[in-house]
Amino acid sequence: MSLRRIMQRLKKDEELAEEIESHLAHEEDANAARGLGADEARRRARVRFGNARATRERVWLDRSFPWIENLWRDLRFAWRSLRKTPAFAVIAILVIAVGIGVNTAVFSVINTVLLKPLTYPDPQALVELVNVTPQGNFGGASIPKFNTWLQQKKIFQQVAAYDFGGAGMNLTGGDQPQQVQGIHVSAGYFALFGAPVAAGRTFTQEEDSPHGGNVVVLSYGLWKSRFGGNPKIVGSNIQVDGQPYLVVGVIGRGFVTDTPADLWVPYQFDLASQDMANYFTVAARLKPGVTISQANAQLRLAADQYRRMYGADSLPPQGGFAVQSLQESMIGDTRFSLLVLLGAVGFVLLIACANVANLLLARAAARKRELATRAALGAGRRQIVRQLLTESLTLSLCGGVLGLLLGYVGVRLLLRINPGDIPRLGENGSAVTLDVHVLLFTLGISILTGILFGLAPAISASRPNLAMVLNENSSRSGLGFRSGKLRSILVIFEMALTLVLLIGAALLIRTFFKLQAVDPGFTTKNILTMAMSVDGDRFQKTAPVAQIIRDGRDRVMAVPGVVDVGVTNCLPMLGGFGMTFDVVGRPHANSPFTGGAGFHSTSWSYFETFKIPLIRGRLFTRQDDGSAPGVAIINEAMAKQYWPKGDPLTDRIQIGVGAGPAFAEPPRQIIGIVGDTHDGGPNRDPEPIMYIPLAQMPDLETALNSRVAPLWWVVRTRVDPYALRVPITAALQQASGGLPVAHIRSMEEIEARSIASQRFNMILLIIFGSAGLLMAMIGVYGVMSYSVQQRTQELGVRMALGAQTWKLRNLVIGQGMMLSGLGVVLGIGGAFAVTRFLASFLFGVKTWDPVAFIAAPLILCLVALFAVWIPARRATRVDPMTALRIE
Amino acid sequence: MVLKRPLENGEILQGTLDLLILRTLVMGPAHGHTIAQVIEHTSENALEVEQGSLYPALHRLEDRGWLASEWGVSENNRKAKFYKLTAKGRRELSAATGRWHRMTRAIGLILGDSIESTGK
Repeated sequence: MSLRRIMQRLKKDEELAEEIESHLAHEEDANAARGLGADEARRRARVRFGNARATRERVWLDRSFPWIENLWRDLRFAWRSLRKTPAFAVIAILVIAVGIGVNTAVFSVINTVLLKPLTYPDPQALVELVNVTPQGNFGGASIPKFNTWLQQKKIFQQVAAYDFGGAGMNLTGGDQPQQVQGIHVSAGYFALFGAPVAAGRTFTQEEDSPHGGNVVVLSYGLWKSRFGGNPKIVGSNIQVDGQPYLVVGVIGRGFVTDTPADLWVPYQFDLASQDMANYFTVAARLKPGVTISQANAQLRLAADQYRRMYGADSLPPQGGFAVQSLQESMIGDTRFSLLVLLGAVGFVLLIACANVANLLLARAAARKRELATRAALGAGRRQIVRQLLTESLTLSLCGGVLGLLLGYVGVRLLLRINPGDIPRLGENGSAVTLDVHVLLFTLGISILTGILFGLAPAISASRPNLAMVLNENSSRSGLGFRSGKLRSILVIFEMALTLVLLIGAALLIRTFFKLQAVDPGFTTKNILTMAMSVDGDRFQKTAPVAQIIRDGRDRVMAVPGVVDVGVTNCLPMLGGFGMTFDVVGRPHANSPFTGGAGFHSTSWSYFETFKIPLIRGRLFTRQDDGSAPGVAIINEAMAKQYWPKGDPLTDRIQIGVGAGPAFAEPPRQIIGIVGDTHDGGPNRDPEPIMYIPLAQMPDLETALNSRVAPLWWVVRTRVDPYALRVPITAALQQASGGLPVAHIRSMEEIEARSIASQRFNMILLIIFGSAGLLMAMIGVYGVMSYSVQQRTQELGVRMALGAQTWKLRNLVIGQGMMLSGLGVVLGIGGAFAVTRFLASFLFGVKTWDPVAFIAAPLILCLVALFAVWIPARRATRVDPMTALRIE
Repeated sequence: MVLKRPLENGEILQGTLDLLILRTLVMGPAHGHTIAQVIEHTSENALEVEQGSLYPALHRLEDRGWLASEWGVSENNRKAKFYKLTAKGRRELSAATGRWHRMTRAIGLILGDSIESTGK
């Protein structure tokens, strides 16, 4: 009760006291008028009125009664009556807890990923700059674009560039070299994201200019772990990639970026550069009052300016620039899949509600005499409904508390299953926490659930036919037809919802197996991969990199058990680079080049290591190095797409047309065609890819490559690849002069990761479907065993009259399966309507996949059959004599 | 607004007191003492208003919005709280009067018919 109400009541009580005084005075006057002495008049008035304090208390209580007292009485009563049927209470609370638990778990993920604002100051003003193309908006920026955007001072307060992945850097100069996540940033980065500075400062504009010197800013975590939190670290030098770097500052603890970083180094862009390669991300902070659409209008003008500056070829006519909310950029299309999951758990909750409503109806049937007696003693319908609702709310709130626990534990378990690439979850889902939003959500659905499953049974129980119920002499008959029908409808409803979940799960299971069955185009068996960062001055030219590749391969090949060793800058299924190319001598329509394709640089032994088949021509050899003429290999998809007729092996291609000076090189002869690989994951068609030898890259390209991508070592072994991890990494360190390797994984792990999100969704829907199935089973069992109990007498009579036991059994089974059948029909209809939301999750399976639409109903019917079997057998065991004697 | 207690639900005396208070106030605003006296006099002293019930009833009726009150000066030149009927109270009075007449008629019928009906 609020303080205001109490104050109000105190005031009213005072007024009443005054009123009583006034009454007594009038009574005294009247007595005096009748000739009584003053004292006597006063005494009689008091006697006649009685106890004034009691009157005031009564008014006070009258005012408090309905709110507190009634609720308290109802709660106590609910508690007592639930304690009388502990089995019912426990089952109901468990069912609700499961329903609320899965909802809490999924909601806490949604809360973290979709709802929580970014942890940076004033996050609404943060935007990502994207390229507008007819195919959609894509992130990624080049120096000329960054330069253009930096000049948009009318709309942006700050603009900053940063790596979206990063090649990794090597901290040397200790006992143990360590590969760390180093992110290149432009000087404005820390101010843009409001990063707190724990010590020192961030980069100056001069330090972020060409030849600005080797400077570094450390993260709080690295400062603590590697440098023991030494405050003198600022101003001293550390060894990064074998070079001394001056530490200018340490960033405070609370600063967390989505790609976690251990240290930051400045890009030192030459803003006059014409380098067209997109290899970093740009974000900006809008000026106060500037909306996204205003910014986009300004950026349309900026695109024209950009074209004038860098030439008509620099940006296609339909292309342009735009901003989108940084949070939206990070969430991407995760929103939809999370909402689908929320829908699925909503189904689970509805099934749970139907189930508990069913239990409540059964319980109400057992309590009908109690309720009828209460009604006969004068309890109004409203009171009975209120009492029953208090009971169901007590249940649902108990279930909610337990569900909160379940959800909290459940979400940890869920995130153990690799959820694929859901952003913003933090390390191992550490960002997912119980906050006030989750608590409010759980409280809200608990109350809603209590009303949802409690209302129908309460209303139905509140109108018993008093005379009929009270006159019955046994507990044989139920609440009558209406309640029986209601229970059947609830079971049908449960069945239908469960079937929708099961069909969804079946579709995802089919998808998963189809995905697993896809031949990726390369072997994943016994392959170990690891990343070696070759960032640093030593690797600005191609020759030293090629040297490490040769030496490393020789040393690793010497490890017993190793079959082959390859090197690449793009590991399959981990994403890669793309590049434009031009077929020499082929006329083009209105584009300056023939097309675009994936662009991988590999060692000569790469294809044999991965067992990527050669279709025609030859593979790279050790001799295809910087001194030999340029060569390229293309995959079948590229041959098919760009050489529908004609032989690619007779053509030369110019790679990187218009991509800037880093890619300036003579055309390359196509020497071979290799098989396709599913690089974007098994659910994507193979894309055109061109391969060049790492040893033949132009120096500038190698320098660029070393900054943005590590060298991936790929080792095929005869034995379990992890068993050779230690000798392989040791051999590579020797060959590279001490460079560490990181991200050691088997190719099977990487393949599993590429379908992790499909696996995650599948497992979740299987869990939800099974929960629904279990509840539907309980539901149909409950209704049928109740119905058998109701009909004991009828069954006894039938048996006495000579009915065969199998006929009685089939009678019950038929009735139960009738309910299931109706549920199946409704569920199939519902699934047809709903599975289209799953379309984007499916692969190789139609949303109306007949296997799923036949298998799932079959499973449901089998489970239902199992559930009605027990009551059906009970029906055949009815002893006619007992049954008749019950009466 | 949650009803404090169902009206038709037993406690005839209380319900009747409410009715009598409403009826008394048709004549115009009055304070508690006057209301009690009017009821007693009008009923030729057959009904005695239990004073401990009068004020709870007045406050209850006011909480329901059937009465409104204000402080004023009584005929004896004393401060007193005057109650008057609201429009809602007037409607309730006519409804309650109707209910009362139906009930007394029904009871009358039963009491009057009791001898004849045993003959059937």
